[in-house]
Amino acid sequence: MFYRRSGIRHTRYAEERQLWPLRFDRWLVGLAVALLVAAPLLVDRLYLVAYLLPWIIWSSAALGLNLLMGGAGQIHLGYGAVMAIGAYTCVHLVRAGVPFELAMLAGGLMSALVGIVFGAAALRVKSLYLAMATLAMQYIVDFVISHVPAISGGTQATISVPPVRFLGVPIEGDIATYFFALAVCAVITSFMLNVARTSFGRALAAVREKDYAAEIIGIDTFRYKLLAFWASSFIGGVVGSVLVVCYLRSVSPDQFHLDLSVQIVAMVIVGGLGSVLGSFFGAALVLFAPIIFNNLIGTVTAGLGIEIGSDLRSHLPLMLYGALIVGFLVVEPLGLAKIWDNARNYFLVWPFRHAGR
Amino acid sequence: MTLDRRAFMAGSAAAATLGFGSAAAADDKVIRFGMPMDFTKIYTFVTAEYSQGQRDYITLVNERGGVNGYKIVTDITDHANDIPRAIEAYERFKREGAVLIDPLSTPVARALVPRVLEDRINMITAFSGRSDAADGSAFPYVMPLSPNYWTQAGVIIDFFRQQDKDLKGKKVVLVHIDTPFGREPLPIFQALAQKLGYEFQAFPYTPPGNDQAAIWPQVRRARPDWIVFWGAGVGQTTALSEAVRNGLPMDRMSSSVWLSESDMEVAGKDATKGVLKFQAAAGGRDPKVIQDILKEVAAKGKGAGPEGKIGTSYYNMGVMMGAIMVEGVRVAFAKAPNGPVSGPWLNEGLTSITDFSAEGLMPAMTSTKEDHQGGGKGRIVRWDGSQFVPQTDWFTANQDLVWAEIHKYSEEFKKSGK
Repeated sequence: MFYRRSGIRHTRYAEERQLWPLRFDRWLVGLAVALLVAAPLLVDRLYLVAYLLPWIIWSSAALGLNLLMGGAGQIHLGYGAVMAIGAYTCVHLVRAGVPFELAMLAGGLMSALVGIVFGAAALRVKSLYLAMATLAMQYIVDFVISHVPAISGGTQATISVPPVRFLGVPIEGDIATYFFALAVCAVITSFMLNVARTSFGRALAAVREKDYAAEIIGIDTFRYKLLAFWASSFIGGVVGSVLVVCYLRSVSPDQFHLDLSVQIVAMVIVGGLGSVLGSFFGAALVLFAPIIFNNLIGTVTAGLGIEIGSDLRSHLPLMLYGALIVGFLVVEPLGLAKIWDNARNYFLVWPFRHAGR
Repeated sequence: MTLDRRAFMAGSAAAATLGFGSAAAADDKVIRFGMPMDFTKIYTFVTAEYSQGQRDYITLVNERGGVNGYKIVTDITDHANDIPRAIEAYERFKREGAVLIDPLSTPVARALVPRVLEDRINMITAFSGRSDAADGSAFPYVMPLSPNYWTQAGVIIDFFRQQDKDLKGKKVVLVHIDTPFGREPLPIFQALAQKLGYEFQAFPYTPPGNDQAAIWPQVRRARPDWIVFWGAGVGQTTALSEAVRNGLPMDRMSSSVWLSESDMEVAGKDATKGVLKFQAAAGGRDPKVIQDILKEVAAKGKGAGPEGKIGTSYYNMGVMMGAIMVEGVRVAFAKAPNGPVSGPWLNEGLTSITDFSAEGLMPAMTSTKEDHQGGGKGRIVRWDGSQFVPQTDWFTANQDLVWAEIHKYSEEFKKSGK
């Protein structure tokens, strides 16, 4: 049917190695991109600023963490702190008069620098111990930010982001911020899609599977683990500055606490470790499931005229959300991306149930 | 387990589509207040009672026919102190035409400041948010309308001065949670130490404050004349229990506004006899408006929560803020009877409230375009083992220092973001 593989014959290596060899996949990607670009015309302002924009930013962050967790197999519980470093560096530089283009990159570099300092310490430990080490990073960064008035901005601990321009275009209002975030997300997404095909990505995959086996086949694990921390933290820093410039418009320490880190780890795991598409699915689920359940219960109780106490009214969505996460992980432990993949596989061989091997 | 994959997926998808499309019916004789609050995460110690008081008061007003024939509709939702959720709720309420928003959360209020200033929607930041928002010239649409933390610190110290006649050579310590909220009053305590000549020492404890065992022996060793403890929720009850354990004098300890009857129950009603706190709205069921709510709302089964909570500190603070909002609407109608109902229209009302005391529930407050704090009056009350008993009249103190601090930060805010 539409997911047709027959008739696709590759005559050159480049064709065989392309990201989406199936025509239908290319159509789907094209459709998704077209919908995202046309979104400001298609959807109500509410959905643009309160759903699509945060979704794109959080997905970008999840992609950055996915490089480290899914790509290199290193857990990181301090990604919120990484983003905070980028955000604060960027805002302070912009306030000092540095152009936003440079400030954003500087934010990324600063995150990457601090990231590998902790990454290097973390290299001596693995798995759960690495989780603890990165958790320590979260707390140390939190502490430094909120205890240095020069960083946090004094008693009120809130700094407003000045109006910024990117390549001459002011990043303000609903449309410009959306497209800017979308553009950054597109760059990160294409990096993530391609990184798995590079020697860097393959080296990371080897490290992820077994680091001393990787060492034996000639991969400098020390270097590649550090590089993974560097690249992932760089992305985190850039996304942090996009987050404050496009979405929050002011920066304060409590925006980057452990909650944010855990949220992004959840997105990566629920979405699917190492999957680009999964990061988008995971971000959508973690960000919007509580909101949607909340609205749903509001609509249902109002529509049916049921009076429930405000305690139950506000906790019920969270219970459903928890059940949903458990449900998805029971149905498919490999994440939402795997569910998508299952559906795709079904259509690939339709009308048969299995492909002959 | 018989729930199969397909049913689970289909159910989730159906829930998603239903949850997205919730639109409210438009009605032209209503004024919408959006109240996204944290019912489930950090502010749970206050939200339920505060929101109940607010809603009960607004029900009372609506039962009596509303204001000028307009009914006030409150949209309540949970934002769980999570900024994306709060922004979603804010944008949705904005689309539905809300002219006022009350997030009751400092991080959320901070994050919403740029948006409300741009959209010209009134944001209530009672006992939360930025203290410098009292300066209406810098924050035209941010409305604390309640004594901020700097004022509370100023009033508490002035009460100590009234008790001891002179604070020279005395020692005042501040035991506070080590967050921006806990560090906020420090400049006032320090400035007053210079002015009044007391010795000041601060003891920060790590958030969330459920373990303060290391701090309180140090406090005892410092031999303070007066102790101020500054936290919220679990930090407060832990502070009280530790103070009791260390044998500190209860009648020389004061809290900010965040201390409630249920905190006292947790820490021990009798053991904590004598503790002081700052109060912004009278507690208990005696005030006339609370009596009215009991008769006209709760007795008819229209209350927003358990009747037993009526008259608690936080409930009455909710009633106080509900009353101030409604008074703002009344004044707005007096100024422009034909509306149209909008953010700027309500702002005119909220910034022109004169000598409003909600029939004795709270000190008379007057707000202006410059002063969004409303005068900063409060009183000191003492726990007698079953309730908080007023020790002073409604008064304010040290407002010169407070306003110097407000201007310092609001000037900075005006300069930033440019």
